[in-house]
Amino acid sequence: MATAAPKGGRAGAPEPAPDWEAIERSPEFQELVAAKRRFIVPATVFFLAWYLIFVALCGYAPDFMARSVYEGLTVGYVWALSQFVMVGVLGYAYLHRARTVFDPLADKVAEHAQRTFGSTDPGGRFTKDPATAPATTTPEVRR
Amino acid sequence: MTALPLADVNVEALGIFAIVLAMTLVITYWASKRVQTADGFWAAGRSITGFQNGLAISGDYLSAASFLGIAGLIYLYGFDGFLYSVGFLVAFLTVMFLLAERMRNAGKYTIADVLSFRLNQRPARTAAALGTLAVVAFYLIAQMVGAGVLIQALVGIDFSLAVLITGTFMLMYVIFGGMLATTWVQIIKAVLLMIGILVMSAFVLNRVGWNPIELFNRAEANTTAESTFSLGPGTYLDSPIDTMSLGLALVLGTAGLPHILMRFFTVPDAKAARSSVVYAIFIIGAFYILTTFIGFGARALLGEAGVTAAGSGGNLAAPNLAQFLGGGEGTFGGDLFLAIIAAVAFATILAVVAGLVLSASGAVAHDIWSNVIRNGQENEREEVWAARIAAVSIGAIAIVVAIVGGEGLNVSFMVGLAFAVAASANFPALLLALTWRRFNTTGAVTGVLVGVFSSIFLVIISPGVWPGPDSEGGLFGFYELANPGIISIPLGFIACVAGTLLSSSPAQERSFHELYVRSETGIGAERAVAH
Repeated sequence: MATAAPKGGRAGAPEPAPDWEAIERSPEFQELVAAKRRFIVPATVFFLAWYLIFVALCGYAPDFMARSVYEGLTVGYVWALSQFVMVGVLGYAYLHRARTVFDPLADKVAEHAQRTFGSTDPGGRFTKDPATAPATTTPEVRR
Repeated sequence: MTALPLADVNVEALGIFAIVLAMTLVITYWASKRVQTADGFWAAGRSITGFQNGLAISGDYLSAASFLGIAGLIYLYGFDGFLYSVGFLVAFLTVMFLLAERMRNAGKYTIADVLSFRLNQRPARTAAALGTLAVVAFYLIAQMVGAGVLIQALVGIDFSLAVLITGTFMLMYVIFGGMLATTWVQIIKAVLLMIGILVMSAFVLNRVGWNPIELFNRAEANTTAESTFSLGPGTYLDSPIDTMSLGLALVLGTAGLPHILMRFFTVPDAKAARSSVVYAIFIIGAFYILTTFIGFGARALLGEAGVTAAGSGGNLAAPNLAQFLGGGEGTFGGDLFLAIIAAVAFATILAVVAGLVLSASGAVAHDIWSNVIRNGQENEREEVWAARIAAVSIGAIAIVVAIVGGEGLNVSFMVGLAFAVAASANFPALLLALTWRRFNTTGAVTGVLVGVFSSIFLVIISPGVWPGPDSEGGLFGFYELANPGIISIPLGFIACVAGTLLSSSPAQERSFHELYVRSETGIGAERAVAH
């Protein structure tokens, strides 16, 4: 694969690859994946459960789902609409968590790796471009 | 007004079609100067912003099956049509939480890039390319047939000619404009589609005093003894286990659709990939809510009398409703509104098929040609030319199959099959490659093969296909599932795990450590080209 080689022959001889295993063992990286896991695992379990229970009830309890809540609005429709709300809320919550927690942690991993291994850059964020780096923490990216 | 004879061409529709096509050609010309490199051709130079990509994902995802198909199902069956919408939308949480950012961080142009990152290049790439091509084949042919049927019904152009026109424009975008042109066609389509459906919904809601509950009541009141319409489930999806199977394929399938996943490579970084999913969620969510208004509006305003005119699957319910809202058949307003909605549907199809062909060309040119046959010797110009040749070949095959298979091919069945293959073959292998330390090449290859072939096999023996569309009980009396997902998705995962555990781990391209660190942090990710 192309990215295996240092990109574009920058600055002479190929530098040694970063020690990925060491980065993986570093407390910074462990903190990042733990933080991600704490959000993603429960959120995934919740949305799959909320969705699959809905689908199962549609299949196995159609009469319950067809019951009217208010005039023509049925239990099934209310539940279906709740999925839309869930998607919006979880999507936004993830975005918020990523910007406030995951991104700063990922930056810490990158900085730590750069300190430890120098500018060995297989084509990306190792040599962080000062022009783009602050974009991760400034509120300007909040849209 | 359905299935007009050739002489009865809708002039307004043709005019608006021509305007849409002219716009897309200008974009293609503009893009053609910017896609000489492989990065440009497949990833639009990674220069697409999060918001643009959110629109483009919506444009790539909301096919004519979503627009006309779901509006039609809601019109005919009520609630069960909406169940599809829910699945199609919730699926984006799967994409967002499990794949989007990791793929952006670890990949380059295709699904296979991510798989072959830590696995043996040739077998892993070949398997991933097979998974991509299988999904694209079913999805693409379904869309082409749908395009032909719709354009024939709406504009009065003959089916074969309509397929040919669609295929020709699709190929022009891809060959000359690559991902950049395809992205902008998708963005324009998303904007047109959202405006079209917003305006139509406003017309519908205006008729019921802007009260959605009143719309529900009127829709339910406008049924007869023969109606299949219901505000509760079970009228269209009448087998509980099949409903579960479909639901599972929908929520996991999107995370295996190559043309959607490929879009994450067009943005500068994982942050943009993430925000693009959120934009897409809000656009697509709004779209599906509005589709309900269209479907219910058609039921409330056209009633049971419009069922025949809505055609098989109710695909023409939305255009018929537009005509009614504009003033009815034969009036200027009615014909104009019909023409606009027809043009929106046409743009919808073009954007989806272009995205599909582009992802298939990636599988053939980048994966098979450059990395398997040429063994990874990077030659960007050659790769882009191989991509163009691949696109023409794939496009030509799709056009021929669509024309030969003709209107008889069942579109929604083929889309369902595409989702089942995506969920059973691509999704398990991708997820495990990114998260499971022990996963190896044998596991990936067996997983993809079992996923692809089990879903195809189960569909072939399903009651709807074998021995015939009206048969009871299928080839084997005990097997009655129309949707294979509930069996084939677990099979795909089991095959991945079993293949891994039963084989001795072969030498790997690169360590899981590297993939893990890079996919979670974005260190070393492909960067945007300078512009």
